[in-house]
Amino acid sequence: MRYPRIVVLVGVAISIMIFAISTMLYSRSSLSDQNSSKLDTVGGHTPGYPILQTTGDVLDPTSFVINPKTAVVEPMKYLREFNYGRISTSSNGTVIRDFTLIASDQQTKEVSPGVFYNVWTFNGTIPGPTIRATEGDVIRITLINNGTKFHSIHFHGIHPSEMDGVFEGIAPGGKFTYEFTAEPFGVFPYHCHMQPLEEHITHGLYGVFIIDPKQGRPQADEMVMLMNGYDTDFDTENNFYTVNGIPFYYMHHPIQIEKNRLIRIYLLNILEFDPLNNFHLHANMFDFYKTGTKLIPDEYTDIVTMNQAERGILEFSYKYPGKYMFHAHKTEFAEKGWTGLFLVKDGTTQSVNENLNVTSIRNITDYSTSDFNKSTNHVPTGGVK
Amino acid sequence: MEREEGNIRNTHRISKRTILFGVVPFIVIGAMIVLLLNSPGILFQSSIKPLPEISIEKVEFSDDTIVAFVRNTGPSEITIAQADVNDRIYPAAIEPGQTLTRLADARVIIPFVWNTGEPYSIGITTDDGTRFEKTINSAAPAPRPTVGQASTFALIGTYVGIIPVMMGLVWYPFIRRLSPNKYNFFLSLTAGLLVFLGIDALLESNEIAVNALAPAFNAQILIIMVAIVSFISLLYVSQRLIQRASKRSKPDIEYKTGYSSHSEPEPDLELRDTRSSSTPFQQQLLIRPIAISMMIAIGIGLHNFGEGLAIGAAVLLGEVALSSFLILGFTLHNTTEGLAIVAPMAKSRRIPVIKLIIMGLIAGGPTIMGAWIGGFLYSPIATIIFLSIGAGAIFQVVYSIGSWMYHTNGSRGLLNNHWIIIGFAFGMLIMYLTGLLV
Repeated sequence: MRYPRIVVLVGVAISIMIFAISTMLYSRSSLSDQNSSKLDTVGGHTPGYPILQTTGDVLDPTSFVINPKTAVVEPMKYLREFNYGRISTSSNGTVIRDFTLIASDQQTKEVSPGVFYNVWTFNGTIPGPTIRATEGDVIRITLINNGTKFHSIHFHGIHPSEMDGVFEGIAPGGKFTYEFTAEPFGVFPYHCHMQPLEEHITHGLYGVFIIDPKQGRPQADEMVMLMNGYDTDFDTENNFYTVNGIPFYYMHHPIQIEKNRLIRIYLLNILEFDPLNNFHLHANMFDFYKTGTKLIPDEYTDIVTMNQAERGILEFSYKYPGKYMFHAHKTEFAEKGWTGLFLVKDGTTQSVNENLNVTSIRNITDYSTSDFNKSTNHVPTGGVK
Repeated sequence: MEREEGNIRNTHRISKRTILFGVVPFIVIGAMIVLLLNSPGILFQSSIKPLPEISIEKVEFSDDTIVAFVRNTGPSEITIAQADVNDRIYPAAIEPGQTLTRLADARVIIPFVWNTGEPYSIGITTDDGTRFEKTINSAAPAPRPTVGQASTFALIGTYVGIIPVMMGLVWYPFIRRLSPNKYNFFLSLTAGLLVFLGIDALLESNEIAVNALAPAFNAQILIIMVAIVSFISLLYVSQRLIQRASKRSKPDIEYKTGYSSHSEPEPDLELRDTRSSSTPFQQQLLIRPIAISMMIAIGIGLHNFGEGLAIGAAVLLGEVALSSFLILGFTLHNTTEGLAIVAPMAKSRRIPVIKLIIMGLIAGGPTIMGAWIGGFLYSPIATIIFLSIGAGAIFQVVYSIGSWMYHTNGSRGLLNNHWIIIGFAFGMLIMYLTGLLV
């Protein structure tokens, strides 16, 4: 009975062949049995790119609205939300502002459409709430640590050593009240300063702290913009870049502003891993107040570049209605989420397209020609020696 | 009668009990599986979510789209959240859907205007934020299964597989006229060529296993496994072939050597005389060369199938820009394969040209098939399996040549003959040098 053995061997050989061929064909067959009931559309944001119809799922973080219930923040709400605290007055007339921040490090929230990440937060959001006071006020911030690790708050600005949030961590379940006088006026970051510092910051324990000058600033449509990133796979490179917490959010939810109205942006960069970040405004120029500590602008520009924890105030207004981009001019960051749109409205019911008529285009041409003539007078001085 | 019946019943009962004993362990295993699956908390509880694992098996470039073929090779279900090109996030479609069960696959279709010849990294991010990446060194339009593309692959296959093997076969008359020592030289040269091919196939499949397949497939073990099984199976088949051929009466010999039966017009009279007076061993000596040549042809055919898969896949994946130089390199490299086929037959009776051509087709033809399959339906695991089968087949052939030389060489032994040593080394050197062209 030698025959069966050859049968077994041949059988083994054939089954290996069948296995090989079936794995080869498997990918084809599994693709063909799609349900053709629904058809979604992909693409079309970029001129020249094809628009596809698919029976499958669409992955499009540039136009998907993130579910507010799972999102780490609501960027539109955060944009213009300034927290002035519970206000009381001391016997000598000083304004006292009380805030409560709750630190936690156990939640998993959506930081980019479809991507969930273990976020460490102040009051449940990245960025944490914007704290605002006037120069000379007494600030009292109570930190409750609901997390599993030591946390603290380190404010930039002027204050005593024991209020610096560096040497005294708050234990899990613990509580501490930071108290100091708000000075000087400007824009400041606040963040957890426990070790490892990078870990505590990159997970999301930061926010913006604004101190207004006593005399105030001119009336404006004010907003806060915090530039950050998320390293969701822990390779010390950011997977996503954002302004105000969710990548691409202001692309599908443009920030509506009014034509000719003064816009003031409190801008802060807290980005980890990458040495710099920047903000570029389309079709416009802005006054830039570095760190916001002076009332005279440092620069008139359309781009500002910042290292980690650098910040400032931008002031501008739009002359023409329409959609305008703002984004990091480090294009990598832009294409990984740090991009947004302003939608400039006329204040009337007139639509954007109606405003882009021939007359206004000619006006622009006239302006640029005269400007060119002016600038040519300055060119030769530097070039020839 | 009664006793016999009793015996039968007895053996029957024993076999029933044997079956029972054989089945009990399976029942225990089954019970364990049921227990573990239905009450996961009882024994093992882990709060750590297993790490996701995705393999991007293939990336195809076509009209303004990039398609990535992804497979979930991790331990649990995965949801794919985003896709990117060169680490820049782009809108994409995923079919059939973004949630992949274990080992399931999907196509990620990214509308993207790409540039021919430039490198691209395709990234896939899962719902926990882990990013997986595959880099394509040079983007090229994916071959489509059209008549034109099929004939291009057929042409490549002909250049790489059939023509060189046929050219090698032309050495047949030359080898027939050689003295025993020089003949031994060419036989061992053949063995050297084949050993090189076998090692080359193993290394290449290892490379694919490391680069294109997830650890979940255990592909490196698979290579060794398939090569060993292929080796012993073919060894067994070839020995059966020779054994049965020698048992049969003389007129059947040709039939039993495995090819084309009655087409030979006139058997060589001289040889027939030798045969009629020969001992079984001498008979074997006459049959074996042809059987060995046939096995070499089959082995090289399997190898060339794998090579064809690799060439087709390389074209598909944009790893290779096909050039005349490359094709020429392959042609020179593979010419030695034809030599390998004819060498063992040199001292047997004259082989009709038609049979040589058939052997050439068996050895070279699969390249075309391989190129078609590799170019149109690329699968790294299938490529690995065929390359390993080819490697096993080739080592079997080397073994056959070795034992053949050992028997024909009489008392001198294999390694005492410097012609054999030089031939073997020279064979590998030839392959190495022609391999530099590829």
